[in-house]
Amino acid sequence: MASTWGDGVETLAAGLEVRAVTGASAQELESDDFRLVDAARQGDRAAFGRLYDRYARMVHGILLGRVPPCEVDDLVHDTFLQALRQLHTLRDSTRFGAWLAAITRNRANDYHRRAVVEVELPENLSAEGAGVSASGSAPDRDQEAADLLAAIRELPETYREPLLLRLVEGMTGPEIAARTGLTSGSVRVNLCRGMQQLRERLSR
Amino acid sequence: MNDDYLWDGSGEPDPEVQKLESALRGLRHNRPAPAFPEIAEITPAGERSRLLTFLLPRFKIAALGWAAVLLIASVGLILYRMKPGAVAPSEWSVTGVQGAPRLGGNAIKAGTANLGVGQVLETDSVSEASMIAENTGEIRVEPGTRLRLLTSRSGRKRLSLERGVIQATIWAAPGEFVVDTPSAVAVDLGCIYTLTVDDSGDGLLRTTVGWVGFKLKDHESFIPAGAACPTKKKTGPGTPYFEDASPAFRNALARFDQAGTSAEERAAALQVVLAQARPRDALTLWHLLARVEESDRSRVYERLEQLVPAPAEVTRKGIMTLDRQMLDLWWNELGFGDASLWRHWERSWSEDR
Repeated sequence: MASTWGDGVETLAAGLEVRAVTGASAQELESDDFRLVDAARQGDRAAFGRLYDRYARMVHGILLGRVPPCEVDDLVHDTFLQALRQLHTLRDSTRFGAWLAAITRNRANDYHRRAVVEVELPENLSAEGAGVSASGSAPDRDQEAADLLAAIRELPETYREPLLLRLVEGMTGPEIAARTGLTSGSVRVNLCRGMQQLRERLSR
Repeated sequence: MNDDYLWDGSGEPDPEVQKLESALRGLRHNRPAPAFPEIAEITPAGERSRLLTFLLPRFKIAALGWAAVLLIASVGLILYRMKPGAVAPSEWSVTGVQGAPRLGGNAIKAGTANLGVGQVLETDSVSEASMIAENTGEIRVEPGTRLRLLTSRSGRKRLSLERGVIQATIWAAPGEFVVDTPSAVAVDLGCIYTLTVDDSGDGLLRTTVGWVGFKLKDHESFIPAGAACPTKKKTGPGTPYFEDASPAFRNALARFDQAGTSAEERAAALQVVLAQARPRDALTLWHLLARVEESDRSRVYERLEQLVPAPAEVTRKGIMTLDRQMLDLWWNELGFGDASLWRHWERSWSEDR
């Protein structure tokens, strides 16, 4: 049976050590989130701003794999606004990251639901067509970034998301796991397999 | 070269990964936090009051017209639902992620489709789908999966996973989202989990975030984040374990749970489980209290008492006779959530069957 958890994953995951997230352990992160979410619920905008600073890269990376790049910045803003509106429905404040990741994926799907009638997305993204702009770089560098992004976006979703968070947003594997609420084992396996598939695509 | 650099930037740098990082860095998020509106301004109550202010003056004029439209629509809906073979719409919208998943026998090639109550969503070996319900959650449907929507109404969402793999991220209230499998029923009490059912009907549930209850008749398992629980078609949920438990512990537990194992083999497997158990494995030992032979129960009781002392209200006699209240009180000491939550939702969805 097909599964995200292929042969050998159990062994690999079991062998993984829980490493500290860069700058803060997962537990510290949860504890901080708890305080910030609680404060944001009381109307503290600065606390919500700190949650934004902490999670904007995750939201940006998830969206980059799912919607046209020119739409990503607006949708990051929309996603945080939606999270702010629904903050009172979050049951476990320590799981803010996983909850926000789910809202982000939902927001991306919602974008496609609305956009499907209006515009057919291009199969191959280019810097011009997809609105990719790598700030402060030459056109050929923009094109290279757009081509690489297009190659990553062709990968299965399971691999696409951790790869974008790692390669574009600069998050480490432990950080991706802590922020998204996924296990270290699954993030590591998906990064590894995604990278393998990306290498194969780029070498063609 | 190993993957340490890809994983956390440690170890020998991988030139290919470095090149990709450098080329893609320009796409990284770099905007400061915008000025978010006052939270009170955008709460549902705030939105409601603005909406009411807008609607009320217009309401009287439009009321009669709307009443007529609603009456016609209601009659139409009733007639439609009475029609043999009609599919009731639901809030679940399905998007093909890869390949062409089939919904109600038709391929989803582009855009989204609505999964109606009673309809089947099926993915073949190369297709994947994503299901979203705004107020419930998102379900990733992996290749080789067959999933049927049984119930979809306010506070009650029920699916049947006949085979395959789903990854559920649920933001509905605990107990609202239930998945039937051929060997157990999974009740969401948390956020994220993966449920697998193979062609024989056996399955595996792995919880990533929160807590999930797994049940077949009176046989029940509680699976917190980081734990997994197998299920067998005839015997129901097995004994849950933390996935970071030692291989010896997990192998012995699998032998203990296996149907057809002799009494001697089970006793030997139990001995290994008890000897290998860490404080965190109290999760497994608590479940074993109700699964071991009466003659072995005191061994489990004593080991669990060493790992997580029972609260004052719990007596040895009560545990030996499997007093549910005492078992629940001890469960609450383990730090995985309050058993009363489960009891509440268990009653709630059991009545719904």
